[in-house]
Amino acid sequence: MALQIEDLVKRYPTGTEALKGVSLSIAPGEFFGLLGPNGAGKSTLIHCTTGLAAPTSGAIRIFGHDAVSHYERARTAVGLAPQDLNLDWFLTVEETLDYHGGYFGMARRDRRERCRELLEAFSLTEKRAERTRTLSGGMKRRLILARALMHRPRLLILDEPTAGVDVELRLELWQYVQRINDEGTTILLTTHYLEEAEQLCDRIAFINGGEIVARGTSGELAARYGVSSLEDAYLALVGRKELSRAHLGAEEAV
Amino acid sequence: MSTLSERAARGSEGGQQDERSSWPRLGPRQIRFLALVRRECNRFMKIKRQTVGAPLLETFLYISVFGAALGSRIHTLHGFKYIVFVIPGLIMMAWAMNAFSNNASSILQQKFQRSIDDQLSSPASPTELLIAFSLGGFLRGGLVALLTFAAAEVLVDLPIEHALVLVAGLFFVGFFFSQLGVLIGVRAEQFDDVAVYQQFVLMPLIFLGGVFYSATLLPEPFSTLTHFNPVYYMIGIVRYGFLGYHDGNVALALGVLALAVTALFALNLRLFTTGYRLRA
Repeated sequence: MALQIEDLVKRYPTGTEALKGVSLSIAPGEFFGLLGPNGAGKSTLIHCTTGLAAPTSGAIRIFGHDAVSHYERARTAVGLAPQDLNLDWFLTVEETLDYHGGYFGMARRDRRERCRELLEAFSLTEKRAERTRTLSGGMKRRLILARALMHRPRLLILDEPTAGVDVELRLELWQYVQRINDEGTTILLTTHYLEEAEQLCDRIAFINGGEIVARGTSGELAARYGVSSLEDAYLALVGRKELSRAHLGAEEAV
Repeated sequence: MSTLSERAARGSEGGQQDERSSWPRLGPRQIRFLALVRRECNRFMKIKRQTVGAPLLETFLYISVFGAALGSRIHTLHGFKYIVFVIPGLIMMAWAMNAFSNNASSILQQKFQRSIDDQLSSPASPTELLIAFSLGGFLRGGLVALLTFAAAEVLVDLPIEHALVLVAGLFFVGFFFSQLGVLIGVRAEQFDDVAVYQQFVLMPLIFLGGVFYSATLLPEPFSTLTHFNPVYYMIGIVRYGFLGYHDGNVALALGVLALAVTALFALNLRLFTTGYRLRA
């Protein structure tokens, strides 16, 4: 398995239980979507997987390596594009990629070559010497994704990667990740754009209140909730069926 | 785009495998550690007017005011020109304050931006992270201290009586304050937290530790109280290294300082291992 999570519990010192025994398996090469409302536990799950949060109990294995006891090998296999634009203001675009490659043990020549590829691929070559704080939101988002890919991760985690970006960049980014997935990289995606999750993901899990409440293909999820689309299944999950387009359409017809 | 796709499919271990063909042949751990240290040095060198220039100017102002102006009235202390007596303490103070403020600010700033997540989610161990963060301030403090020393050598004839004690003393002092900076940076939640320690704790301890005077000249109870100030012993070690003068047990002070550094390092390592205020 690319990612195997068993009975994962995360309890914060405040007493809040963000994850209540989550179990999840993602096969190598799979494009997996994790959907849920704000505060459902998506980011906590990602943080536990990447070492940014310590699990209270349970197990996380990344390509067979325990994320806690063998974190070095586990983290080497993971690339994280976080929801926040957490770039280092002191660094230039190129340095951001170079240091990240260094943190993952990439040799200088390899870093230089990989930097060039990614700068070109994400249309950042002209901005390579600019400090990250001077970039536009869209450019920062590109850089975050390029940084996540720098060390050639086998599992790419995208935490709401298109939040706040314009339509063309969003479509462009989806093309990139789709292609990377086609070439073998496993992807775990959280997003609020349900139509994209429906289109991109092989399987989807709904998380709510720190628990996985449903999983399957978008068709299976829709069938489970007795609706016709993933969006309606999601609305049923969060208890807002009245917002369904089908429901609103029926009301208008009346 | 196709280039990205072709390369992305190679897998995550590619970088480490390529390492074998690189020169010099550093392993992934050495590369990682160097990258972490380079990041810390890069940060302070990018704002060197603030991080190196300003402390240097500050030290020269101290030398001018306390050395030249006050020195013209005091003449000698324990047989040394006043300015010569003061400079070892100023060098130590430069290293200590810069080591502390660099590490505290760097860590807090990265926590604030959450850019520290890039290092925390890397394969770096808590020990690697701690030593790299510590070295940033240690090297900045060392640079300012070295420049101060070089300038002092030009301005006055500053002897070095016990080089080994001096090197060991400055190393421990620099490392102690860089560890302290890391500790405060990790604990701090806002920039005010760092300023409070720097201005209300460290600065008084350093000033009252005998940088500008000899504790033996103080009236009671201040002379005795000074002996409860740990910085007093640090200045004593450094002054002994430069001038050969001491008014305490240098070996004991050096031993206690080494123990304090070890204890502080152990505490910080525990914080980094548990992820206290770094990881959720």
